[in-house]
Amino acid sequence: MPPSPILARLTKVAKSYSGKCVLKGFDFALEAGSVVALLGPNGAGKSTVAGVMTGRLIADAGSVCLFDRDPRHPEARARMGVMFQAAGLPEALTVAETIDLHAGYFRRRLKTTEILDQAGLSALAKRRCDRLSGGEQRRVHFALAIAGAPDVLVLDEPTTGFDPDSRRAMWRLVRQKADAGAAVLLATHHMDEADALADRIVVIADGRIIADGPPAAIKAKVAGSTIRIRTALSLAHMQILPGAATVTQRGADAVILTTNPRATLEALFRADPLLTGLEVSSASLEEALADIIAKTMKEAA
Amino acid sequence: MSTLVAAAPGVYVREAGAEVLKSARTPQFIIPTLILPPAFYALFALGMGNGDIDTARRTLATFGVFAVMGPALFGFGANVAGERESGQLELKRLSPMPAGAHIAAKLAATIVVSVIAFSIIYALAIFAGVDLSLLQWTLLGGVHLISVLPFALIGLGFGYRLGQKGAIAIANIIFLAMAVMGGLWMPVAVLPEVIQTIAWALPSYHLGELALMAAGQSDAAHLWLHAVPLVLLTCAAAVFAWTGQGRHGA
Repeated sequence: MPPSPILARLTKVAKSYSGKCVLKGFDFALEAGSVVALLGPNGAGKSTVAGVMTGRLIADAGSVCLFDRDPRHPEARARMGVMFQAAGLPEALTVAETIDLHAGYFRRRLKTTEILDQAGLSALAKRRCDRLSGGEQRRVHFALAIAGAPDVLVLDEPTTGFDPDSRRAMWRLVRQKADAGAAVLLATHHMDEADALADRIVVIADGRIIADGPPAAIKAKVAGSTIRIRTALSLAHMQILPGAATVTQRGADAVILTTNPRATLEALFRADPLLTGLEVSSASLEEALADIIAKTMKEAA
Repeated sequence: MSTLVAAAPGVYVREAGAEVLKSARTPQFIIPTLILPPAFYALFALGMGNGDIDTARRTLATFGVFAVMGPALFGFGANVAGERESGQLELKRLSPMPAGAHIAAKLAATIVVSVIAFSIIYALAIFAGVDLSLLQWTLLGGVHLISVLPFALIGLGFGYRLGQKGAIAIANIIFLAMAVMGGLWMPVAVLPEVIQTIAWALPSYHLGELALMAAGQSDAAHLWLHAVPLVLLTCAAAVFAWTGQGRHGA
């Protein structure tokens, strides 16, 4: 299979706000027909990457290419769909009117009925935008993002405020767009969302990429189990146990994230035969993410 | 050049239609802007003037300017501030919508609402017995239409700089100050001298005087005395609006 064309590329991009450096030397590429999740905690720089890629923000340094152009070029805009976090809707217009107006900006537009149908909004077509719930408003924003049949779709935290069913429905819609050939950039701080949807996960923290690969590889990179115990051992001592990745204190308990629970446990029992309150569980994806980030930050420090 | 770049057909017309629809569906905007000026005109000019045609004719000219100020200041100031604050403008800017379409559409909608507002006052005036020649009506309508521009630019300048609440507050202050100090409710000549001086810096004063000339209520020999300051003030307002533009976004 020939490699998919790269539709968006950031090279050595830097961006600061009021003296605070958010991105530094950021390199990133987005291929057609795939969903790339930009995963990281709040404040990691995800929205800034999305903003720079869409021309909403201007990079301080480095180059940004969307379809081999400046993202603010009209042709780039005509092929891009965006969904940002904080966005309102025209209160006095109905859902269908809002979508129709926005779709009308694009030469290559989908029909309003098609957009309503794809975004699951057909039943709400005649409702005024100021009478929608938060989740419904997000769906309208998604509808606006797909109105121009975009080749690049940039979604910043698209499922905020969704119930689990709506979330899965949104994931299906996004997946369909990628399967139809669109390149999707998904900024999210939910590991499960990235895992369910993405072909590639790029973990970022503090404005830098700290892991990049398919979801399975990202998950394999991280510790598999958490061990919770009550012990007299110091945190520094537990840190050097075989397999231990990170150790944190939670109340009276210590929590060890480990890649090799068997080796860690054996060493633990040898070091402190009197330990109590033992619990072993497989690490959640969120813990795994926190672990990668903590480890990388420590190495960098 | 790809065919994707050319503006989609009918963008301007549809954008303007949407703006008119939004105004018409926002009672807190449309009721004060359409009801207040004719109500004031009926009260001050017709009611308190005891049917004096001269008063009715003179105030028709200045109240027409007053009627335009509301839709222009609030439609641009408060609405643009709200749309900018809520990210709606940003979404439009990131789309291939032609850059000027949104402002052009807002201007068109403001003109529609303004024309309705001063037409109601014209109807009241005609009902009260005011008779102008066709030329005078045409000139008066022209002055009242032109009035949209400076106020829309002032509103836009604040809309780009302030949040919605701030823009509404400022629009209210400007609205009242321009009306009173610009001599739209009562002639500037009866106001304190300091206000008579300030009036020269207000577009409402010059538009009111031009409207009086159009209606044959003032000596047209003074045309340049008011037309030149009006043009200068409008240019200043345009600079104010233009320089505010870059301020939105993060």
